[in-house]
Amino acid sequence: MAVGTTTLAPVTARVSRGLWGDAFRRLLRNGPAILGLACIAIFVFGAIFAPLLSPYDPTVGNLVNRMQPPSLAHPFGTDLLGRDEFGRVLYGARISLRVGVVAVFFGLVLGVLIGALAGGAGGRLDAVLMRAVDVLLAVPGILLAIGIVAWLGRGELQIMLAVGVSYTPIFARLLRGSLLALRESDFVIAARSMGASPARILLRHMLPNALTPLIVQATLALATAIIDVAGLGFLGLGPGDPRIAEWGEMLTDSARFLQSAPYLIFFPGAAIVISAIGFNLLGDGLRESLDPRLKR
Amino acid sequence: MLKFIVRRALGAIPVLFGLSIILFAFLRLLPGDPAIAILGQHATPELIARIHQSLGLDRPLYIQYIDYINGLLHGDFGYSIINGRSVLADFALRFPGTIELTVGALIFAVGLGLPLGRLAARHPNGWLDGLVTVVSLFGISIPIFVLGYLLVFIFAVQLHWLPATGQIDPRLGLEPQTNFVLIDAILAGRWDAFVDGLRHLVLPAIALGTIPLAIVTRITRASVIDVSNEDYVRTARAKGLTERRVNSRHIMRNAWLPVTTVIGLQVGGLLGGAVITETVFSWNGVGSWVVDAIQNHDYFVVQSSILIFALIFLLVNLIVDIGYAFLNPRIRYG
Amino acid sequence: MALRRLAALAAASAILFGACAGSTPTQSPSASAPASAGSSAAASPTSAIKEGGTLVVGLDGDMVYADPALISDSNSSYVDAQVVQNLFGLKPGTVGDVIPVLAAALPTPTDNGLTYTVTLRTGITFHDGTPFNAAAVKYNYDRWKNFPAGPLQDNAYYYGAVFGGFGADSNLVSVDAPNDTTVVFHLKKPQSNFLIAQTIQPFGIQSPTALQKYGADNPSLDKNTYAQGQGGTGHSMVGTGPFMFKEWVPNDHVTIVKNPTYWDPATAAHVDTIVFKPMKDETAKLQALQSGDIDFAQTIAPTDVQTIQSDSSLQVIDRGESCNIGQISMNQDPKTQGADDPAGHALLQNKDIRMAIAYAVNKPAYIQAFYAGLAKPADNWMPPATQYYKPENLPTYDPTKAKQLIQQSGVPASQLTIDLYYPSDVVRPYMPDPKGMAQAIAQDLQAVGFTINLKSEGWRTGYISDEEVGKFPMWLLGWTCDWAGPDNFLLTAFFHYNGTSPSPEFAYKNDALNTVMNNALAATDPTTAQQLWQQAQDMIAADMPTVPLVNSSPPAAAAAYVKGFQGAGNLTEEFNTVWLDK
Repeated sequence: MAVGTTTLAPVTARVSRGLWGDAFRRLLRNGPAILGLACIAIFVFGAIFAPLLSPYDPTVGNLVNRMQPPSLAHPFGTDLLGRDEFGRVLYGARISLRVGVVAVFFGLVLGVLIGALAGGAGGRLDAVLMRAVDVLLAVPGILLAIGIVAWLGRGELQIMLAVGVSYTPIFARLLRGSLLALRESDFVIAARSMGASPARILLRHMLPNALTPLIVQATLALATAIIDVAGLGFLGLGPGDPRIAEWGEMLTDSARFLQSAPYLIFFPGAAIVISAIGFNLLGDGLRESLDPRLKR
Repeated sequence: MLKFIVRRALGAIPVLFGLSIILFAFLRLLPGDPAIAILGQHATPELIARIHQSLGLDRPLYIQYIDYINGLLHGDFGYSIINGRSVLADFALRFPGTIELTVGALIFAVGLGLPLGRLAARHPNGWLDGLVTVVSLFGISIPIFVLGYLLVFIFAVQLHWLPATGQIDPRLGLEPQTNFVLIDAILAGRWDAFVDGLRHLVLPAIALGTIPLAIVTRITRASVIDVSNEDYVRTARAKGLTERRVNSRHIMRNAWLPVTTVIGLQVGGLLGGAVITETVFSWNGVGSWVVDAIQNHDYFVVQSSILIFALIFLLVNLIVDIGYAFLNPRIRYG
Repeated sequence: MALRRLAALAAASAILFGACAGSTPTQSPSASAPASAGSSAAASPTSAIKEGGTLVVGLDGDMVYADPALISDSNSSYVDAQVVQNLFGLKPGTVGDVIPVLAAALPTPTDNGLTYTVTLRTGITFHDGTPFNAAAVKYNYDRWKNFPAGPLQDNAYYYGAVFGGFGADSNLVSVDAPNDTTVVFHLKKPQSNFLIAQTIQPFGIQSPTALQKYGADNPSLDKNTYAQGQGGTGHSMVGTGPFMFKEWVPNDHVTIVKNPTYWDPATAAHVDTIVFKPMKDETAKLQALQSGDIDFAQTIAPTDVQTIQSDSSLQVIDRGESCNIGQISMNQDPKTQGADDPAGHALLQNKDIRMAIAYAVNKPAYIQAFYAGLAKPADNWMPPATQYYKPENLPTYDPTKAKQLIQQSGVPASQLTIDLYYPSDVVRPYMPDPKGMAQAIAQDLQAVGFTINLKSEGWRTGYISDEEVGKFPMWLLGWTCDWAGPDNFLLTAFFHYNGTSPSPEFAYKNDALNTVMNNALAATDPTTAQQLWQQAQDMIAADMPTVPLVNSSPPAAAAAYVKGFQGAGNLTEEFNTVWLDK
């Protein structure tokens, strides 16, 4: 369960009110980022308007019509149960994007909590929390996810939790690292000397400045989350009801038809790749616009 | 430096201890039963009870745990409930396969990722950079099993260039000694077996190494660009140093740092990815073994092997940190 | 199981089983064979057989122990069958024709079915050079019977199951060896399945010398060098078969080699070496076959049959008559502890509902979609090759009739909701795509008015332990025969009682049926046994406690140059007839 790890030099002290505004403007001028946004927008659009775009019920098929190659009636063909693949890719965006977003959100919340406590408090609490993170990091993410699904049972929520938890240690580490670096930065020292409470310093001064690498990492994780769900499906731990379309599971189920019906892999696979590229480009763009030093 | 190493080593003890408790408790919370793994559909309450008794699972949990830890301290890592084999013996049998696979994947990822990343960083946002970015994003977005099947289909099934599965052709009859296929081939002086072993390694290493390759490429690119903008690099250029010298003495030295961190973190990811790669390529490694063991509730195997995993992970990260200190004299460990 | 069988045996008296085990004539394996199948793989006496070479076989999983007495899994059995032989075996290509192997002839029980006197073949030696004789047979049976409680007994499942326990509990009182070529078995109570049960691999006869010398009885199985197979030829799996054990690298391969001094030249092996490689992943196995890594795949996914058929360098092997059944299992007890969906359990108490489900499922469509046609719609709770089988004319696909039955049941449409479970991480010969099947069945049931919630669990992480105690209302499962007798399906696998109440798995209460089945086991002559077993089948059919779906023949595949293979529906197959035409 490899997650792209962006190691960034901690954002230098820049308490400009215009940071976000500047960043947004820079983002709009970033061609690849806009392309990434467009990739994601296609699927969001497809997910919202799926009922209008696809005439078939994506959960019900007919065995008589199974495994038909792409045609006018079924532009992406039909699957093993005779369901319209085009409709399933469209409806699948709903679940897959949701699973990705919620899983990363889970991981982010947990990671920020641990990272902020550790990096903010320092000392013994930091040591204890970081040892806990080490334990999590030491267990390969996919084993962690397997364990969680085996323990809590199957279902969309469990999958999101499993994937999210496997991202937690990286988020926590990243945030802690940035916070540690910020502790000695000029503006924090200044705030401290002006008598601000530690909690205030952490929440008002350090966190906002430390979140940037996390946001970037999170957009990258959005892409890998969908793939991780597919990996779990490969090991027989996919989300609950298989009739509900989800890209990862569609890909897993059709991997064995690589030779007999390659189109069944191609379309959900392309959907995952395009959305992953979208999230990655967007993440890159965000990073560049939030940290203008990277941009020439 | 020595003090740092000792402190880190001591720090690992509570981590491993905590992990052993969590693993122990967690496994017993899982639904299902090790007796089912032995009996399958033949299970009856009487037979299940009998197996629990002979495995000692009917004793209080804390006694089972103390027993287990006591064994560990005496070098006894337990045995598999399914096939009775000692966990340590099985680990020794399978870990070499995973190491060969992981090292192969790392060589692929780093050997290709570093130059690609530098190439892309030369003209950021140029066409070459764009190409490298898209290719690496592709690599990051394809699940390992799809990539694995696809590689095998193209290079083994269609082109017959490379073998599809396993570590070596069993028809060669290479006797296992160290269980590292390549080392065994050298020890036996079997050049044909060595080449065959290498040929078997290519596709799984690519399948497993693709995600790290993408990450290493991107990190290298980012940190090279990052460092190129630093003042001391500009100063070096202003001094009139050759581009080659600036590159090797100033840029790469500093760009190495984040790259090594990522490589260290990827080792954990590689072990995880190996689970699926080993299945797709019928590769005899620890990944698929542990997944099977989790599903079988093969308690000792899961507990001991993950502890050993963790130990190795902590060790690798310690080495990475020491490597840091060598690469960057500014970092000092007190 | 042990106690269950003991109870069954307590009531049993002699069914004179004799040679009638395979009462069903064996069908031609190529009856439903795909184009490139069967014929080319089956022995073709016309072409000259080539000797030598190495055959690499892709097996579904790794061997578990190198001592057949300790195994109960199909992978170990598959390897063992080449190396260790029993007194009796199955005629190659059949699932129920008992033939003598190390015995010279099939014995006729005497003493009201309590005594079997077996004459042995002579001139046979074990792979370690020691002689095979009556003392060796006695040694093996005594060893199994006297396994101490603990790991040895726990793993020797089949001895305990067949003889109802170990030591004094065992229905096998004693084995005598009055002379070198005669063995006499004394039973406590008549046991009609005695002969056919002795054909399964755990009853393989091994060299007493090797068993003793290499510590086969060490209960610490991690230190039991015999069971762990780490010593090479003559140290483990020391049998009398056409192949000898050579080496086992766990999870990587098992190698066996031709026995140069095999006792029967007519059935001696042709290839020099066979390597069994465990391959869990079906796609990996297919690609290994296509790329030439392996020569033979023990099983392949039915959905790959077409791909293999379209490649002239490969062949699909049809295994002919089935020895399994896949079904929709049902539990009728809403009060099951921890029951999931009690309303679903209650719904299934209604016979009209169960019948409606039987009419709603389109078995032929499933067979085309998931079994590549290599299965037949099940018409009973056991496959046709089973002894005393009777076609039951069970409901066939008729959605209209299903809707009528639902109306007749009086259940309002709003209450027609049931959970259907499938295993998420395994395939079984009778169930090659559980997830697909579950969805197809759900589609058919929804079409007649049910609402189906699909749920899944991991095979060993909850599925078996939960279905065993009846937590699911409706779930997919089946049974592959241990031996092709009605007791193995109707009693052992399905509708046995625990004491006076039905097993919680199905909670199917039918005391009359239980009596008939016990009387069938106790019948003293085959005619009565047949009549009672068929009465039992009729009673089950009238009640439809579960819905049988298919009897499948799991396909194998091989390179085209692999010749002479004889497949069997229970996967008990011998490679001595196989040769390589290359």
